[in-house]
Amino acid sequence: MDIEIIEMAERRGKFILKNSSPAMANALRRTMLSDIPKMAIDKVEFHLGPIMVDDKEYESVTPLFDEIIAHRLGMVPVPTDYELFTYQDKCVCGGEGCPSCTIMYSLNKIGPCTVYSGDMIPLGNAELKVKDEFIPIVELTDGQAVLIYATAVMGTVKKHVKWQAAFGVGYKYLPIITIDANKANDSDVLRVIKLCPRHVFEEKGGKIVVKNSTDCSLCMSCVAPSNGAITINSDDKNFFFTFETDGSLTAKQLLDKATEILSSEASELLSQVEAL
Amino acid sequence: MIIPVRCFTCGKVVGSAYPEYVKRVGMGEDPKKVLDDLGFERYCCRRMIVSHADLIGEIAPLG
Ligand SMILES: [Zn+2]
Ligand SMILES: [Zn+2]
Repeated sequence: MDIEIIEMAERRGKFILKNSSPAMANALRRTMLSDIPKMAIDKVEFHLGPIMVDDKEYESVTPLFDEIIAHRLGMVPVPTDYELFTYQDKCVCGGEGCPSCTIMYSLNKIGPCTVYSGDMIPLGNAELKVKDEFIPIVELTDGQAVLIYATAVMGTVKKHVKWQAAFGVGYKYLPIITIDANKANDSDVLRVIKLCPRHVFEEKGGKIVVKNSTDCSLCMSCVAPSNGAITINSDDKNFFFTFETDGSLTAKQLLDKATEILSSEASELLSQVEAL
Repeated sequence: MIIPVRCFTCGKVVGSAYPEYVKRVGMGEDPKKVLDDLGFERYCCRRMIVSHADLIGEIAPLG
């Protein structure tokens, strides 16, 4: 697999998959969406009954149902490190839960306040604190309190979306834009600069030139008004990918993991075919 | 009720952006510019924030 990185920020990436096929591009897209393992909160224990803080009694009551709070905690992206964690059922502890397959968080707040995701305190390694600190979980009024223990485990999105690390994963055929050099300074053709919704063209020395061909969405709205001076083709061997992550993994980690999973699945298939 | 943690359609985290969006729009900034600044490109995520009715504060005392 030949990949040219265009942009690789912490949470978003753009790259070109080169000399490939539509089947391969789609396989990579689906792997990124649904096969990347990550940590997410899966078990939440609520303290029920009065909560005593500084000789004042608080009720373990909130405006949201416990189930909704548990669901909201599950959706919060939890930092994932493949060196530190593994699937619970494949762990050395045999599925009981230990520091190499689970992350424990405690959440203890008294009202009046807004409870944020950043209020979750990891038990043990402080680096596992949630990066998105200002996701509102619930609001408390005077006399209300929450005392919660939450456990995060590794999983994939095939079981629940909270284990989805990548989103907005999409690709398009790489656009090939050709401009007839003899007609590049026609006033009709120059008018196309304003017609393009993605602002792909610009004027240079009285001629129309391509500014950024990867921005083109292959909408073809420039073809007819240019009277054949501009032609747009799509390249079915090169693919322009964009994707984002939720912050539990960096964009680079996610792409590395996706290519690793895809190639290991391909070689597994090959070995099974040979065994027939 | 309360801002959803993630976009219903694509899964991008929108919850953490909502308090900042409300604050900045309240200070008179253009909502379009704030959403662009916060990195919401797709309209699925933008509608999560724009169309949200934040009623949790009114429900809270009844909990
Ligand atoms: Zn374990
Ligand atoms: Zn969205």
